[in-house]
Amino acid sequence: MNDQATIKLADLKKGEARCPGAPSTQDIIAADKVGAPGWVRSESYQFLGDEDIPKERYLDPAFAKLELDTLWKKTWQFACREEHIPNVGDYHVYDLAHYSFIITRVAENEIRAYYNACLHRGTKLRASGTEGSAEEFKCSFHGWSWNIDGTHQSTTCHWDFPHVKPEKFSLPQARVETIGGFVFINMDPKAPALADYIGLEAKAHLDAWKLQDRYIYLHVSKRLPCNWKLAIEAFQEAYHVIETHPQVAPSNGDANSQYDVYGEHVDRFISTLGVVSPHLYGKVSEQDVLNQFVLGDSSAMGDTKLTVKEGGTARAVMAGMFRGMFEKATNTDLSKVSDSELLDCFSYTVFPNTFLFPGISLPMVYRFRPDKNDHRKCLYEVLFLRPVPIDGKRPMPAEPIHLRDDQSFTEAAGMDPGFGAILDQDTDNVGLQQEGLEASAKGGLTLGNYQEIRVRHFEQTLDKYVGRKA
Amino acid sequence: MNTQGHSATSDCYTRVLKLSELAPGTKKVVEVGGKCVLVCNVNERLYAISNVCSHNEKPLERGRVGNGWIACPAHGARFDLATGAALNLPAKNPIATYPVQVVDDWIEVLVERAAAAS
Repeated sequence: MNDQATIKLADLKKGEARCPGAPSTQDIIAADKVGAPGWVRSESYQFLGDEDIPKERYLDPAFAKLELDTLWKKTWQFACREEHIPNVGDYHVYDLAHYSFIITRVAENEIRAYYNACLHRGTKLRASGTEGSAEEFKCSFHGWSWNIDGTHQSTTCHWDFPHVKPEKFSLPQARVETIGGFVFINMDPKAPALADYIGLEAKAHLDAWKLQDRYIYLHVSKRLPCNWKLAIEAFQEAYHVIETHPQVAPSNGDANSQYDVYGEHVDRFISTLGVVSPHLYGKVSEQDVLNQFVLGDSSAMGDTKLTVKEGGTARAVMAGMFRGMFEKATNTDLSKVSDSELLDCFSYTVFPNTFLFPGISLPMVYRFRPDKNDHRKCLYEVLFLRPVPIDGKRPMPAEPIHLRDDQSFTEAAGMDPGFGAILDQDTDNVGLQQEGLEASAKGGLTLGNYQEIRVRHFEQTLDKYVGRKA
Repeated sequence: MNTQGHSATSDCYTRVLKLSELAPGTKKVVEVGGKCVLVCNVNERLYAISNVCSHNEKPLERGRVGNGWIACPAHGARFDLATGAALNLPAKNPIATYPVQVVDDWIEVLVERAAAAS
């Protein structure tokens, strides 16, 4: 039996092997009672090579500088949500390292991103990390001002500046596009449109989720002790679950998760929940699965106790009960939502800074940004999105909670303790990884062909940008 | 409706507005004892703060109110509605905040000088 399995694996081409003896993600989803839509029921894996990823990109400050001069100037970045700037005149300041933009709603359906600097002597027109509403953008230094449409309004002591022609002193802009309630910006005037950047297939997935109908229920940020790419890559595979999150493994199809790539900028995994990890077959019961299932948003669950009847599966029990409980907790209609969307972890990267989890039980967005002063640190944010209530009254987005470097995610008010502990496990790893890469005698990172395809995909796209001249 | 409950006696408070005159999500300027006070009804809570920005003495009344803060429309300084603390540059100094309560459907604000004058 073992010999046969070995021979069979050896016959496969690189990247074709899947977890032996386990149902595929598609097999699990196909057995669900409420069927999943096409964007769930499809695969898009591609073998992209098996060479090591050179480690300098994580360690070299010159590489970080090159990223800021090339990739961050040419890619679409998630700057804020539309709900951060609901009314005309509202603005939200988005920073990426030393870059800073005032994201402003200038008309009901028009948002602009102004470079956040006075055209006189350069003072930031609005402090970083702030929001507000403006009738004009007036510099706090000498009082030069701009209309919210970016046109120059006034030069203090205009008589002294005959060389300042107002028509040439409009605020420079980055490009802005929105999708699913997210405001994306791009500093490159020649970049493709956001829809082309995301690609037809992946955009259809995003459109299907209707994330514009969600609101930010909880927003937590923390600086992590690693290069920004290591932080992202820690979340791009379920391969680490068995060792990093042993408490979750009994109820997570980790080794049989599905991995997909879409064009250059989007990739995903589907990691089924409510099923036993292939690592633990024969060691845990269906009731164990149910008991150990950890939810990202378990505040919605109340104190309900679940049991698996003889011959039933934990996954079926959870799908049946979650629907009603999440409907009640969030005051929304989930009757047409598939079991998979209710239960499973869908994780998408939109290169370079955006991580989307559109599922119902893990309704999250991550954002990753390099630290402007230290290539060995990065800023990590977790945003929990909930459906806007049926009565249509959209709550204000939650204010960000900024954790100190030494704080646990469990200390953020509103964070589910079980999920906060998972994030602590993930983010403790990356500090050790940064230091280990610096200490290592080995020149690069070795990746699995299937389970770590998103890491390779991400780094190959990064190479395409960093290799280009600014 | 939660208010900033302080234990001062009711007769030191000044009636400024009917509660019905301040819809949820809105704010109004009132004069109390010579002070310009901004009363805000946000997220089911009432706040009374000085209407004058500590940075440049511009009025805050047209500023945006967020979850627990108000932003000065002139230069973007933000203040904590409950404590008055400045949250970001260009302001560093706090603004005054005043106890507020609801009695018989009236919004009442406690401003020290107003109490002394009455």
